[in-house]
Amino acid sequence: MPVKLEELNVWVATKLFNEMPLNIAVIDRDYGICVSNEKFVQRFGKCIDRKCYEVLKQRSEPCVNCEAMKTFSDGMARKYEECINEAEYYMVNIIPVVDPGGNTIRIISMLEDITDIHNRQMECEIFFERVPNYISVIDRDFTIVRANDNLRDTFGECNNRKCYEVYKKKHRACENCPAALSFIDGQEHTAEHVGMSADGSITYYVVKTSPLIKGYDNCRYVVEILTDITEFKMLEKEKLEAERLAAVGQTVAGLAHTIKNILMGVEGGMYMLSSGIEQDQKDRMAKGWDMLQRNIVKVSSLVKDFLSFAKGRKPVLQIIDPNCLVDEIIELYESTAKRIGITLTRNPSDGVEPAPLDAAGIHTCLTNLISNAIDACQMSSKENPSVRIGLKQENDTLYFEVSDDGCGMDYDVKQKLFTTFFTTKGGKGTGLGLLTTNKIVHEHGGKILYTSESGKGSVFTIAFPLHVLYELYNESRDTGGTFNEADEQKNGSHC
Amino acid sequence: MDQKRKILVVDDEPDVIEYLTSLLEDNGYEVRTALNGKVAMELVKDDKPDLICLDISMPEETGVRMLRNLHDDDRTKDIPVIIVSGVDPKFKDFISHRKQVNPPSAYFEKPIDKHEFLNAIRTILSGIGIAQ
Repeated sequence: MPVKLEELNVWVATKLFNEMPLNIAVIDRDYGICVSNEKFVQRFGKCIDRKCYEVLKQRSEPCVNCEAMKTFSDGMARKYEECINEAEYYMVNIIPVVDPGGNTIRIISMLEDITDIHNRQMECEIFFERVPNYISVIDRDFTIVRANDNLRDTFGECNNRKCYEVYKKKHRACENCPAALSFIDGQEHTAEHVGMSADGSITYYVVKTSPLIKGYDNCRYVVEILTDITEFKMLEKEKLEAERLAAVGQTVAGLAHTIKNILMGVEGGMYMLSSGIEQDQKDRMAKGWDMLQRNIVKVSSLVKDFLSFAKGRKPVLQIIDPNCLVDEIIELYESTAKRIGITLTRNPSDGVEPAPLDAAGIHTCLTNLISNAIDACQMSSKENPSVRIGLKQENDTLYFEVSDDGCGMDYDVKQKLFTTFFTTKGGKGTGLGLLTTNKIVHEHGGKILYTSESGKGSVFTIAFPLHVLYELYNESRDTGGTFNEADEQKNGSHC
Repeated sequence: MDQKRKILVVDDEPDVIEYLTSLLEDNGYEVRTALNGKVAMELVKDDKPDLICLDISMPEETGVRMLRNLHDDDRTKDIPVIIVSGVDPKFKDFISHRKQVNPPSAYFEKPIDKHEFLNAIRTILSGIGIAQ
């Protein structure tokens, strides 16, 4: 049944005053409260014929510069925030009650309790200003409309300036801007950037962007929260530098040790030669000459291996058939192996497809592994030892495998396997072969696995994840890579 | 005629063995050789030398291990040892202050000065009798 207009008017006139979610009081020029609603009484107690400053503020005299009373002078409505009892916050709306002559004879004061909202705003304010982050709010033009003090202290004045001007001192937006993505998809995004602070120093930061209206692609503002990671970056750099220096120190010490041994051999050769001449002993002279020659060869291999190890070369990836690389290595070592009584065979390798590889690098790796396997066979007392090379492709991984039934390795040797200048071959080895192999394999995003048993033999496997090889390959093509004509000619022979 | 003093040369480098053997034999010593610490210990027990020239970095068993083995056996702990090694000179201080080994009688960094080397051997051996 429809409500009649008269009934509605009666309800407004009699009930609305008390039903409204506001504390309402009517006050005269002398601060006296004439009328109040039930909510006002519930909150502030009995108030009729009492002064508003007594009721609201427990004061004995009017408040200094009372905002409400100004309405009696200018007849204007007003709205302001008022704190009562130091803990409660109210939004006060003052409306004038005007007589037919236009004079304000009363004011209606409506107090809305905003304590919760106010406290939350305070919390937000504290978070905004006190968190150890840089925070800004930017609009769709990347203009900073709000920023915290922390940001201003580090990057300088920023209101109404573009964020990329403030953070990076640049004149155009960043390429991988997470804020732009948040404006597009309404989602949160994170990125790591390098900026420049107001004093011109480099600042590393992680920026997280969050749209003010989440999930909508038409939000007007995005909040950027920057975490300064400059100190971490500096520590990371220092650590890398310390590791590099330690590695250089270790390498130099190892190099010095190897050279000292070679020099001792040279000295020995000279002694044998000179004493042989003195004593007129041709045998001794020949021994001395051999020692000199041997140690010159050692110096040459040391220099060659060391340069190969130290060379900072990016892998030059080309699509190559790995079978061809294996065939080349077999061809290279077949006659040497046969001459010293070692059988060199190739395991079947079905289903292996061409893949992006650095032919020169893989050639070095396989050469080192085969050469080690042959040496291990020579150090073994077994008759007819053999070395096998295998190739397989399984679960997105390409495997090169070199196995031997030579002398194998004990615990101590395994522990030192990838240590600079460690060799089990006495003066014959430089102790750099496996290290160089490991380096090349890592450059391909792969790893070396091995199993070995002392007296039985070893199996070395190089595993290359194919997706990593393709990523490196695409990267090198995108950036122009390190490919050049010389490399093309060098790699040209690999199928 | 005087009995020759016996020196055991331990080094994994055949050229070093060849050199020191010739040098020491030319100077009137009897020389035994071993390419690693394990074989060397067997030789020591079999035929006790008057002095040992010992390398440190060897693949089978290091010179440090051999020093410990010599120290742990009453029959061998008094044999003087001269270290002939390419390892860092700081190693000399390190090895001279270990409780588990006797301090070496002398320390020579490769390549050696052969006159100083021979002088050191003469001095060390002049202080002790011939091994039995």
